[in-house]
Amino acid sequence: MLEFILRNLVQKSITLFFISVISFLIIYLAPGKPSQIDPMNPKFTPELLKRFQEHFHLDKPLYVQYYLFYKDLITGKSVSWQDNTPVLKKIWERFLNSFPLFLIGTILTWTISFPIGIKSAISRGSVFDKTTTFFAYTLISIPGFFFAYVIIIFVVNYLHVPVIGMKTFGIQSQSQLHLIMDRIWHLVIPSFLSASGGVAILSRYVRNQMLEVQDADYIRTARAKGLSEDEVIYKHALKNALLPFITMFGLVIPGLIGGSVIIESIFSWPGIGLMAYQAILARDYPVILTLNFISAILVLVGTFLSDLLYMIVDPRIKI
Amino acid sequence: MWIKRILTLLPLLTILFLIQSYFWIPTYEEQTRGNKQRLEEFISGSTGDASILNPILSADSASAEIESKVFEGLIDRDENLNFRGRIAKKWKIYEEIYILPKKDEDIEEIKSIVSNMKSVTSFDVTQEKGKEISINHNGKKINVKIYPNKKIKIVMNKVVPEFFAILKNRSKKDFCSFVDYKKYISVSEKNININELGKKVLPVCEENPVILFYLRHNVLFHDGVKLTAKDVKFTYEAIMDPKNLSPRISDFEPVKKVEVIDPYTVKITYKRLYSPALSAWSIGILPEHLLNKDALKKEAKSRGMDPDKFTIRDSSFNRHPIGSGPFKFKKWKSGEYIILERFEQYWEGPPNYKKYIFRIIPDKLTEEMEFLSGTLDIYSPQPHEVERFQNNDKFQVFSGTSFGYTYIGYNLRRDIFKDVRVRRALSMAIDVDKIIKYVLYNQGERITGPFVKQTPYYNKNVKPIPYDPEGALCLLQEAGWKKRKDGWLYKNGKKLQFTLITNSGNEIRRAILAIVQDAWKKIGVDVSTDVVEWSVFIQERINKLDFDAVILGWVMSIEPDLFQIWHSSQTNPYQLNFIGFKNKKADELIEKIRMEYDKAKQIEYCHKLHQLIADQCPYTFLFVRKWTVALDSRIVIMEKDEYGNRIYKKITPTKTGDFSYYFNKWIKLPKRIYFEN
Repeated sequence: MLEFILRNLVQKSITLFFISVISFLIIYLAPGKPSQIDPMNPKFTPELLKRFQEHFHLDKPLYVQYYLFYKDLITGKSVSWQDNTPVLKKIWERFLNSFPLFLIGTILTWTISFPIGIKSAISRGSVFDKTTTFFAYTLISIPGFFFAYVIIIFVVNYLHVPVIGMKTFGIQSQSQLHLIMDRIWHLVIPSFLSASGGVAILSRYVRNQMLEVQDADYIRTARAKGLSEDEVIYKHALKNALLPFITMFGLVIPGLIGGSVIIESIFSWPGIGLMAYQAILARDYPVILTLNFISAILVLVGTFLSDLLYMIVDPRIKI
Repeated sequence: MWIKRILTLLPLLTILFLIQSYFWIPTYEEQTRGNKQRLEEFISGSTGDASILNPILSADSASAEIESKVFEGLIDRDENLNFRGRIAKKWKIYEEIYILPKKDEDIEEIKSIVSNMKSVTSFDVTQEKGKEISINHNGKKINVKIYPNKKIKIVMNKVVPEFFAILKNRSKKDFCSFVDYKKYISVSEKNININELGKKVLPVCEENPVILFYLRHNVLFHDGVKLTAKDVKFTYEAIMDPKNLSPRISDFEPVKKVEVIDPYTVKITYKRLYSPALSAWSIGILPEHLLNKDALKKEAKSRGMDPDKFTIRDSSFNRHPIGSGPFKFKKWKSGEYIILERFEQYWEGPPNYKKYIFRIIPDKLTEEMEFLSGTLDIYSPQPHEVERFQNNDKFQVFSGTSFGYTYIGYNLRRDIFKDVRVRRALSMAIDVDKIIKYVLYNQGERITGPFVKQTPYYNKNVKPIPYDPEGALCLLQEAGWKKRKDGWLYKNGKKLQFTLITNSGNEIRRAILAIVQDAWKKIGVDVSTDVVEWSVFIQERINKLDFDAVILGWVMSIEPDLFQIWHSSQTNPYQLNFIGFKNKKADELIEKIRMEYDKAKQIEYCHKLHQLIADQCPYTFLFVRKWTVALDSRIVIMEKDEYGNRIYKKITPTKTGDFSYYFNKWIKLPKRIYFEN
């Protein structure tokens, strides 16, 4: 066990190093320049440009820049080029905004998918199964932003209430309960939208898993023992069908920092995804690279956790 | 079975709980009805966040919008785009002239000529003491010894650009001609061209325009400290300090020195005649007491940073600015909003709105939706939406022309474009009115020259080139281009063939590209087109002058200075006259315009220049775009009469289309009131 963990750690740090190098290179190869040193800005003379480049080390060779950047990142000193605030502080603030959206979205995804998936597996071929299949594929194939716009236009034009942002602007004077409900209302549509894709995929997945275990020997045994249908399905079948999902949970973790770029920019939700998008547009290298680095770490941690979980949950797997 | 029950109830309850929150949310009407505070807030939106809230450091429009509320300059522009005093209550422009006389007889001669001139207020001869200075000459630091000399100082009550011409004319002598500097200066180093150096340290003739600003006595910074002349001087020095990397440095380069005469009088002396320099003083004035050396040192120490490397750029001031404008800074949440509060001690009286909120909404449709649901007070509809907003009673709509124009520029270094008839013919072949109608949804106007359309500098008598493809063909034939059987135009066996390019990411330019290509093909010009990514477009094609014809746009300032874009000295790579327009008459006019301080004369020169450029057709001037802004109809102008009664007025735009000119008097009412026309 310990050996497995150690070996895994070494492997993952090597991977992390390569990720850091590659992401650094990709960003520098991409066209465009950081907005503050954009040579097209008519207010910048060549001398000013040079001074800016020196200030941000952009005149040094790439490997020096790489070293300086990751040194700053690891010591927590790197600052955003856009507003000179520490990158980590900026990310943390945005994380707190993204988190409720992520949380509600994930809860919705996981709570809705299971009953739907199980129901369609049990009544395979029924009208319910066919309808959910239809909607699942519709949701998968229609892009999220399109839905988002349709829903926003509907809500604003027919229900006359605001939907954008984290709260309605300018209702500070109302009661505390109003404020909380207002926040929740603003969570509803974006979290439903971000959950919709997940529900479509996950419910399909649950359905297939359930169908698979339904033919297993132990299910037949359970039925032969004379257990009620509910007991067979929800106790014996579901437990085994759940196995792959436990490992999937490890993969949810990177979503914490990735946020949802599309949903967040449509709803101007001040989360991490939106910040990443704006940072990319402004070529704010420290923010882009730090986010990249953290999400790489989270992916690696996620896979590590799911490996571990699998080992614990499924005794058949041994090292 | 409890698992089954949980599995079905949990999602249902979650969804129900989430959806019931809808019933707590105020609708468009309720937002202002149940919530009085909302009426005293003005909420505007922007696609981009501000970057740095310091007028001398920022270079983006979002920051500029906030700065215009938090900071204030010495002057700004009034309804007619003339200068208007803000922190400065009035100002005086005059001129100081220095001449280094070669002989003592010269002094007498100049005196007798000058004594007849009306605008001269004083004539002095000063005995300058000898001194030693060190200057940077061709990258080297050298010490120069200046011998004692006599200097004539003439003060005029206005700027007379032709002073030396008059002097030369009346005396038949050139007092500004070359002098032998060996008599005046010496240097210890060898191999130095002493005459070249002399021109720098001791010019023979100097014309120094001077502006004397008289400041208001009742202007306070938001922290309660009085704004005085030393803050003005400090702002200037902060811009010029190379450590601060100010992008505004070029605006203040013509300034020779800034002197504090008394706490409320500042004297600005310029190196040379350059009239557009006045507009630079609309820059927000910084508080000296918060950003001077001691303050910065203190801040660096408290934040554990190296005090020697710590500049204004690093200061936390840029995120919590303190100025003297009508609104003071309250809070900035990156990427979300910036909140400003009204400044009760604003010298002109506080604005009606209590709060000014600047929201960052990256998506255009989202912004529209927020406006429609009442959580934004202002919205700029896109061209295709304009009609929809104009027909909606809930909004008041304003529109005007913007300061920028779109054009097709021809690289005049290419042989085919050297003939003005060809350029004119190409312009005649394009139906600009149709482009405006279909590409811009009528949200544009034709333009005929390089000045901002709503300023008096723009010559309204210049007629746009008419759409006339047949006439174009005639002109081309006159220029020697004949149509062959294959339908293309040829001259000396060469086809009339070139490439038209523009940058990617601008849908309108892209549409024009296709329309123009088609229009030119119809008269037999073989055009191929290319859309190039912005940085490549600028760095590889425009800066290196590697293009035939280009669709681009300029954003103009109100000042009629065309030097960078149209002067023949600016035609090298990396300069802005990349089409290579060279015209002696135009050069002369451009120089005269920037040296003239008399507005009427300036306008006259501009009209001439406008006509000249229009005749030469170096560009096909296409259009200026129209902007449209929709406001909630409940927003009105509120004033108080002498008894304190409120008087409401409809918001009307100024002559130049500026609807927000009286912004400080705006307020939102709970219910719309209807005004008689």
